[in-house]
Amino acid sequence: MPLVDPVTMSSSIAKGGVAAARSSPSAATGKATTTSSSPTTAVAKLLPVQLQQTPASQYTRHAVPALLAALFVARFQSLVADPVATMYSSLPVVAALQMAYALACLPIAGAAGSGGAGASARKPRPGDKKKTAGSGSSAGGGGGGDAAGRRPYPPVTAFLSLILTALATPFLFAAMVLFGAPLLTHPAHTLLCAAHLAVLALFPLFYVHGVDTAAWAAVAACQAPFDDTFGGLVGGLAGAWLGAVPIPLDWDRAWQRWPVTILAGLYAGYLLGRALGGSWLLWGKKF
Amino acid sequence: MPKPKTAPPIATPTPPTPTPSKRRKAPKSESEYAAISAQFDAAKSAKAEEDALRDAEREKASVLEWQREALESARKASYEARWLWTVGVWAWMLCIHVVGIGLFTGGFLLARLVLDDKSSCDAPPTLNSTTRRGLDILGPWAGKGTVEGGCWHPKTFDRAVIVLIDALRYDFTVPVDDNAAFHNAFPFMYDTSLASPNNAFLRPFIADPPTATMQRLKGLTTGTLPTFIDLGSSFAGTAIEEDNLLMQFRDAGKRIVHLGDDTWDSLFPGYFEANLSRPYDSFNVRDLHTVDDGVIEHIFPLMRRKGDWDVLIGHCLGVDHAGHRYGPEHVEMTKKLRQMDTFIRDLAATMDEKTVLIVMGDHGMDEKGDHGGESDDEVEAALWMYSPKPVFGRTDPQFISPPATAKLRPVNQIDLVPTLALLLGIPIPFNNLGRPIEEAFAGPTGKAWNNLAAAERTTAAGIQRYQASYSAARGIEQASVPGSPADLWTQAEALVSGSNKRDWAAVYSAFATYQQENLKRFKSLWARFDLTNMILGIAIMALGVITLLVYVASGGGDDDTAVDDPELDRAEKSLQMQGITADEQASASTSIDKRIVTAALVGAVPVFLGGVVQSLVSGASDWYRGAGVAVLTSIVAVLVALFRAEEFVFKIMPRTFWGWLAVVFTLSQSIGFASNSYTIWEDSILLFFVTTFGFVTALSAFRLPSLPDRYLSIYHSILFVLLGRVASFSKLCREEQMPYCTSTYYASATSSTSAPWQLAIPFLIFLILPTIVKAYLTPTRSYEGLAPVWIGYVFRTGLFLSAAYWALDAADNGNWVQGLPEKMFRNISVYTAQIVLGLAFVAGTTAFIWAPPCVSIITAALKPGKAQVVVLGHANAHGARYLFLPLNFLAACFLLSKPMGGGALGIMMWQILSLLEILDLNSLTTSPIGPIILAVLGNFHFFKTGHQATLSSIQWDSAFIPLFNLRYPWSPVVVALNTFAGQILATVAVPLVVLWKINPASKGVLDRVSRALGTFVAFFAVESLATMAWAGWLRRHLMLFRVFSPRFMTAAIVLLIVDVVGIAVTLTGVRCNTLAISDVFGWAE
Repeated sequence: MPLVDPVTMSSSIAKGGVAAARSSPSAATGKATTTSSSPTTAVAKLLPVQLQQTPASQYTRHAVPALLAALFVARFQSLVADPVATMYSSLPVVAALQMAYALACLPIAGAAGSGGAGASARKPRPGDKKKTAGSGSSAGGGGGGDAAGRRPYPPVTAFLSLILTALATPFLFAAMVLFGAPLLTHPAHTLLCAAHLAVLALFPLFYVHGVDTAAWAAVAACQAPFDDTFGGLVGGLAGAWLGAVPIPLDWDRAWQRWPVTILAGLYAGYLLGRALGGSWLLWGKKF
Repeated sequence: MPKPKTAPPIATPTPPTPTPSKRRKAPKSESEYAAISAQFDAAKSAKAEEDALRDAEREKASVLEWQREALESARKASYEARWLWTVGVWAWMLCIHVVGIGLFTGGFLLARLVLDDKSSCDAPPTLNSTTRRGLDILGPWAGKGTVEGGCWHPKTFDRAVIVLIDALRYDFTVPVDDNAAFHNAFPFMYDTSLASPNNAFLRPFIADPPTATMQRLKGLTTGTLPTFIDLGSSFAGTAIEEDNLLMQFRDAGKRIVHLGDDTWDSLFPGYFEANLSRPYDSFNVRDLHTVDDGVIEHIFPLMRRKGDWDVLIGHCLGVDHAGHRYGPEHVEMTKKLRQMDTFIRDLAATMDEKTVLIVMGDHGMDEKGDHGGESDDEVEAALWMYSPKPVFGRTDPQFISPPATAKLRPVNQIDLVPTLALLLGIPIPFNNLGRPIEEAFAGPTGKAWNNLAAAERTTAAGIQRYQASYSAARGIEQASVPGSPADLWTQAEALVSGSNKRDWAAVYSAFATYQQENLKRFKSLWARFDLTNMILGIAIMALGVITLLVYVASGGGDDDTAVDDPELDRAEKSLQMQGITADEQASASTSIDKRIVTAALVGAVPVFLGGVVQSLVSGASDWYRGAGVAVLTSIVAVLVALFRAEEFVFKIMPRTFWGWLAVVFTLSQSIGFASNSYTIWEDSILLFFVTTFGFVTALSAFRLPSLPDRYLSIYHSILFVLLGRVASFSKLCREEQMPYCTSTYYASATSSTSAPWQLAIPFLIFLILPTIVKAYLTPTRSYEGLAPVWIGYVFRTGLFLSAAYWALDAADNGNWVQGLPEKMFRNISVYTAQIVLGLAFVAGTTAFIWAPPCVSIITAALKPGKAQVVVLGHANAHGARYLFLPLNFLAACFLLSKPMGGGALGIMMWQILSLLEILDLNSLTTSPIGPIILAVLGNFHFFKTGHQATLSSIQWDSAFIPLFNLRYPWSPVVVALNTFAGQILATVAVPLVVLWKINPASKGVLDRVSRALGTFVAFFAVESLATMAWAGWLRRHLMLFRVFSPRFMTAAIVLLIVDVVGIAVTLTGVRCNTLAISDVFGWAE
């Protein structure tokens, strides 16, 4: 996908997405015969997130990852010594940093740059040429409110996204337990680790996509294009997954304790994925 | 079987209803047709011209019928031929694996036969050896032949204090001119040896590898060379059962007290005076002081109570732990050595004249402070003997000063065994290969050559006796060419008996030469890795994996698309009915199977025969290497044969995401086997993979276009993951996982019985599993035919009886019901178990062979006035019927696993069913990921049924579930079914990946099953290859005998079992299934 003017591109692709989404119900019944056909046609197209172009956004975009990395490195010793207390105390800081990043850089849910999915067809003027890339300039649902016509107010959206993030945390906790995290011991460790994962990897997506089912389906199917948010999600998950690798080794290092390696993998993977996803290397590309 | 199908099938395009497919066939319709046609004939018989027409038509019909039958039987014959070729390929694969594993094992796992013979006090070996009877160098002494006077040699001491300082390297004890932290800190032993040579001597003390404490203790007490496998009566236990010093002490009525390292307790259970001994945990390497302080604290009070014991063993671990933790170059090591110096100094001061003090290291340590291998630093320990009574001597004044390095005048560690035995007057253990240490028998002047010669000859006679027994037991011929032990023995005996003027020094050295030559022979027999064989084995396994991958890649092709096209099949059939022979049917893959088998035989047979002939001619017994070379040439021949047809190099690379996932799961685990940690925690890693797969399929489900499919797929993925996590609560931890693991498999960590609540698990499985299986069959209407009876009643009964077995067993063990006749519970439970196995294997196999397809044929009126025959269960005809076979095996394994294991196996079956749905919904039935995940599941449930890759986790008691006593070959089969239930069940379930939800018209089923089996076996073959390569590479690793070797053995046995079950059960089962389906629905293959 060439890097063209995001506004015009969004209009044309969004229509294609709508068409595909409309045609999908009829195709869905014939599963037995057409399973091998490319499923991409049936899932709504999602556009990569276009960051805001304000100077503040540019600064925040680079400052927040640097701050996150610095925070993690600075608190690493304390994390190894007392994981629960450190994760607990750093969680609000991380959340605040992510919120600042979202407010300054990310397009709000339903806005043009957030890449309307199939569902955005219901929204008025998908791809209206008058839209600018600025946040909140277009109509559309906020994080929680999808009532058309109401102007989304970024802080509210951010707050709602945070609530969604909190709601998602228990599911990530469950996922970690399923992967083999201790169930009966260390609940605080695992839960806080899940919270960090949610705040880092999921919060920006909630801010950008709200509760747009089609967008989330595309994200889940890994059919979303790479951008800051999706790259961060993929990187964070892959990093956390790989973070489990050093745990069994018999090196007797303090940093091998649960969940330090997971958290380290998560931060490294998230920051790398976000940087790559937002860079020219991967932006807009798909799996 | 006569075909009911008469008219050409009507082409009714099937409306959306997924399951029933219309086919004109029903047993009923045949009789109807006959009746109608009879009426028809009768009514129209008058009309001649129509009659003629009729005849012509009938003739045509019968010709058609005849052609059709001929085609069917031709297709059947072709199928059976193809099946045989496929089995041929797999038999060849089995040969590759057997030869590869056999060669590697022959070079790697050094086995020594343990002889049960014991030495006894009144039968010295000099009496019944090949020498002249009654010839004795020393003549009679007081108390000869008794423990009081000395059994085989006059005794010198009454008591012994043995202090073992773990990892006491020789250079720690001698002056060295440098400032290393580990030098010059322990001078006492050197100083005493120099100052009072008649009271003490210090010599290098060379360990035989492996330099691990347990193996060393075996060597130090039995006098033999421990190998990895000591083939004795008890394979599982760690206790030493062959003749050894402690056993001789005990049998002579001597009281043994032990302080320190608890390894002694597991090697010599029940040997020690319980109220005086103090064992300490030996595994906490971080703790430098507890064991040493305990030994020091308790040894001095005992020194004041010398009447309470005869042999006192103290085992200090601090030096070893300091080495492991810090390495030798550390101030803690200096402190430790100084502490030992003081300790030995104080201890020597408490000795009396009737007591000998022996201080020794069991091995050394390398420069990092670790040990286990055979480097010089690791094998060079120190030995110091001390007595206030001046008994020790030197045959040469130069020997007074202890050797400056361990390279000079070393003694072998096994030499301690005859030395200590003769000094204390007990018989030398039967298996001893060592010789008496010179200083201990040379007398204070160093001139007691006759004493030395007597000790040396007695020991040598013992060795000679042992060698004769061992050769007889192993069937080894003893050649008496010059320089052989037999020849040296004869020469030495001639010196003793020959002339009157006997030169005792010459006699002594002649017997010493005999001992050394003999030891050399045994070392080469037991303690050397045969690198050629190991490399040959690894090469064969590696090429075998490549061949397997090529084989998998060579199958498939484009026939998948033709499978579900009835029109094409019909056209093809009619073509064939018009005279084209069935041989045309032979697909490309058949000829591949055929070509492989032919090429393999061409490549193997001449070389193998040549090897056999060559070894016969040359007299060397290395025909097995000929087999290895033969396998190599046959693989090469096959690869060359296939290479002409296929560009396989590109085909074996995975091309999809799922293919890569399969590669990641397989390879990452195999690479991880290079690390002891990843081997130890394999069960957690497998859970991680199972969960990863489930999550990926759940995400992948979002790509499905149909919403119901999407939800179903997500549901099954989550179910798959959840079940895996539930099963993971069943754990049997291995020692190395402590303290981060809690065993739940048994009632407690120290028992091997189930807790009462665990007995409920089999009953729970009995209640729900048949219903669950039914739930997976009903969506395709496949719960028809024999299925309700077999799954609903027979399978359920088997599960119930198994659950009842475990309840009865627990009642029997716990004596829950008092006052019953003895063995009543035991009898009932064994017969119950036999009934279950009879149901599963005898009745189950019969049912599986004869069962009709799981379909029901009904007549439905879809359109008014036109009855239509509907076949319920048509869409899953293959899979539903084949499912009986895994269920039968599940019933058997369920019985043979403990209650927790039975629960895990029930969960495994459920996971397999969910996996089949996931694969079907995501169109992954031809992807390698299906068989690979099955293999991962199989391994995962190996751990969840209470096993680990260690010898000690084998549940030997399972042999007695269906039997009262050991019976061959059934007992090993039962233990194998218990141990490898997970992998066996997975192997039997492999065809389901292909067969699930395909209808009878599918083609190339055998081909695809064989390729799926190939992928499945490839997983285990790669694991075998990897564990083999790592075990060979890490053959000097500290953990070799604890971690790497057992994992290799597990992988090798699993691979062979999977191969055998794959041929005997899986492929055979598919053949039975296809025959049964095709007899009813016609031959599509």
